[in-house]
Amino acid sequence: MARIALVIGALAAILYPIPLQIQGTTYYQTVGFLVLVNAMLGVGWNVIGGWAGQFDFAPQVFFAVGAYTAALLYVKLGLAAWLGLLAGVALAAVLCALLTYPLTRLRGHYFAISTVAIWMIAQPIGASWEYIGAAQGLFIPVKAHASVIGAALSLQFAGPTKAMGYYYAALVLFAVTLALMALVERSKLGYYFRAIRDDQEAAEGIGIDSRRYKVIARTITAAVFAAAGVLYAFWALSVFPEQVLELNWATLPIMATVVGGIGRLWGPVLGAVILIPISQIMSTTLGTGPLAGRGIDLIVYGLIIIVIAAFRPTGLLSLPWSRWLRIGRRRAAGAPA
Amino acid sequence: MTELAQAVVNGLQMGFLYALVAVGLTIIWGLMEMINFAHGEFLMLGMFGGWWLSARFGLDPLLAIVPIAVVMYAFGMLVYQQLMRRVQGGDPFTQIFATIGLLFLLQNAVVAVFTSDYRFVNEGLLVRLGGAKVQLVGLTFAMPLLLAAGLALLIFLALYLLIERTEFGLALQATSEDRDAARLVGIRPQRMFAMAWGLGAALVAIAGAILVNFFSVYPQVGLQFTVMAYAIVALGGFGSVLGTLFAALLVGVIQSVTVVYLPPAFKDAFVFASYLLIGLFRPQGLFGRF
Repeated sequence: MARIALVIGALAAILYPIPLQIQGTTYYQTVGFLVLVNAMLGVGWNVIGGWAGQFDFAPQVFFAVGAYTAALLYVKLGLAAWLGLLAGVALAAVLCALLTYPLTRLRGHYFAISTVAIWMIAQPIGASWEYIGAAQGLFIPVKAHASVIGAALSLQFAGPTKAMGYYYAALVLFAVTLALMALVERSKLGYYFRAIRDDQEAAEGIGIDSRRYKVIARTITAAVFAAAGVLYAFWALSVFPEQVLELNWATLPIMATVVGGIGRLWGPVLGAVILIPISQIMSTTLGTGPLAGRGIDLIVYGLIIIVIAAFRPTGLLSLPWSRWLRIGRRRAAGAPA
Repeated sequence: MTELAQAVVNGLQMGFLYALVAVGLTIIWGLMEMINFAHGEFLMLGMFGGWWLSARFGLDPLLAIVPIAVVMYAFGMLVYQQLMRRVQGGDPFTQIFATIGLLFLLQNAVVAVFTSDYRFVNEGLLVRLGGAKVQLVGLTFAMPLLLAAGLALLIFLALYLLIERTEFGLALQATSEDRDAARLVGIRPQRMFAMAWGLGAALVAIAGAILVNFFSVYPQVGLQFTVMAYAIVALGGFGSVLGTLFAALLVGVIQSVTVVYLPPAFKDAFVFASYLLIGLFRPQGLFGRF
């Protein structure tokens, strides 16, 4: 049952852009791109937030580290984006481990606030550091690539296939992230994370070094954010502080995780599929009307989160779907013809 | 040297205003141990209230404090009764999510009504005092800030007396110490929590109505104050009202002294850096009771 759903989902994700490309509506491919990026970020955030149970409010710092590293290497040294991605992920991981180790002395919302403090300190640094372009940031020049392979190898898609190219790039990164996190979930590491979340004292009692594993969990989250940051930078063709350090890079993935089901591998994916298109659909339906650009989509997000928190804090995936679906099927089978 | 002394004095005056911003959170977070990430949005509502009453009815933002406080007290109670009561017993994460949802809802409801434009108050006593200054022992005090700081201090002292000297305050502290024991002596914890939320919301909204005389207001103004308030409450030692005041003065001074030596973008960075340092080396805060 679950395997069938996985195959159908994967096929749908792979085929999704093709009819759109034939029809020539690249807009919905960009929506798909954003869904995948946020799903990937959510799956990454789930490691620190859902499994290790530490509220990280500032993963966007590492999103920015990834974006800046790859953009700098490309602009200053001409290094290809995928190599930049490796460098960005490595740098974000090291930086995250160094910054997080002292923070793990703090617990609960004290930890959460300390991550916000790191973000608040990162913002003026990003806005005033001349080497990385200060407030203006960096521009990534587009290079025309004759072949699809050339474009894919340099992560630079342009022209009418831009949206489709980045959609598939995001799909690849998302799939890799999901597969790796599925491994983590079932590994010893995943069990250590959840043991610390459920009862830190008990986990320490059986010899789990809680500070060490919290650092590892947040470093995994940071690595995922850095990779997504590189992808986003090359899609946006620029990196500047207000864009990559925006709070939405934390709140949207976190919301997706909560709506779908925190601590469940597929929770953030479901959440992103539900939440991200809302904002796009709203902006098309409201068009240029009086309520356009008035944040109506974010009001809806706020309401959804409040309702989930108040009535089903474990998320949509925690609802008894299998029972409901089975009852539905049995009724259908037993119904008189 | 004079420059430094002047910066310290200015910082102290801002500190009194920050104390009022943070003390609502001292009650909700420090005393009642509930999380509110929408604290800055309450402040934003207070600022917008001050601006709107001034722009629409010509009411001085300082007088607008009264209706704003009443409305926000009711609003804070409503938030507790309709939302926070449901998530109170569960995972602390759920409280974070619920208030982040509230943050999005309030912020964007205000965008929907007033748009994201920056608004300024251009009437009222503090605006009219404008450039008026007082010179004292070689230091300059701007009249509007001095008055506002004095007003904030008055409200703060009234709150201190309310919490430390009245039956209501004692009941609040009793609920914070031990909910079940409080119930045994006839205190209804649910009611105390609702009143704490009302009081917290009203206080921060009052701070907003004063601050709107100095800062422009826009729907996204809240978060920076939320984080600052958390830093102040943590520095001051959770639940300590006087600790909050000292920590807020310290934050005001750190901010204004930073600006003398570094680009203005860094004015908050050192506030948060000091939160991190104190969080790591003295987790009970500078003035904590524990």
